[in-house]
Amino acid sequence: MKQLKLVFFSIFAFFFVFAMLMLRPFGSPQRTSMDHYIIENSQKEAACNNVVSAVVFDYRGFDTLGESTVLFAAVSGVFLLFRRK
Amino acid sequence: MIIESLSLMLIVLSAALAVKVKDLLISTAFLAVMSLLLALQYYLLQAPDVAITEAAVGACLSTAIFVLAIKHTSRVEK
Amino acid sequence: MHAENEKNSKIIEFAALGLMVPIITFGIYVIAHGHLTPGGGFQGGAIMATAFALLFVSLGKKAIESIKGEVLVALECIALIGFIGIAFLGMGNTFFFNFLANSGVLFGEKVPFGPNSGIFSSAGVIPLMNFFVGLEVCCGLTLIFFLIFKGAD
Repeated sequence: MKQLKLVFFSIFAFFFVFAMLMLRPFGSPQRTSMDHYIIENSQKEAACNNVVSAVVFDYRGFDTLGESTVLFAAVSGVFLLFRRK
Repeated sequence: MIIESLSLMLIVLSAALAVKVKDLLISTAFLAVMSLLLALQYYLLQAPDVAITEAAVGACLSTAIFVLAIKHTSRVEK
Repeated sequence: MHAENEKNSKIIEFAALGLMVPIITFGIYVIAHGHLTPGGGFQGGAIMATAFALLFVSLGKKAIESIKGEVLVALECIALIGFIGIAFLGMGNTFFFNFLANSGVLFGEKVPFGPNSGIFSSAGVIPLMNFFVGLEVCCGLTLIFFLIFKGAD
């Protein structure tokens, strides 16, 4: 039984290493038109030096609303778990 | 090149040791070390926002919750 | 389980109370400069929640009675409503419209193209949203700690 677990684990690890060796080099994605648009026009439209903050709060602000709702739901779930009987 | 491979090997080593050790407080300390080295690896991959979040949540908040949970239950794993 | 022999060491109490002020100041700095340096709302809120976690771990039972749960819940709800309210204020064009950028009223200065030393009163609506999200994350994580520690007795 122990040899069978070891064989399956080594096959899984071999697939992971093979997938890692086939990745693209770091910093050169396949489609770059949206990245170029955001980098060129972030200081003109959003007037913000930090491009990551401009993307999180201005270009894709709806996802930040979803994340705040998920945090609020997690806190109310902990409330439900520890209430007094 | 050297720092990246060294931190990657230390991440795997401390994660494996965190499972192996029987004393639960030492295991929590190994998890904190793993979170700190992961934050360093995120910085080396040019993502400073993710590195600040991982250092604040993984090394501080998660360790504090584990310490409080160990205080109210047993300390040694049977 | 260890409720009988819980005498706190004076050194740990003094060090924890002395370390809370720099940690909260650093958290406010990371939130306030979210549009210039790496950081922002979520990161500064997590750093500020670390100060309260330090208070709970080192002081013990004395820290539980000095914080009320209802104040934290009220602050979290006010922060979330403020965030949605700011999103609704730009409803003239779209939902999350940045109506203060490049306008010159509150946070509206123009930013020159290329690398520059940061101008603090730029970026429109983004610093206000950073403040509300930071307050909400800090109160939420502190509330999780407070509930776990209070309900374990």
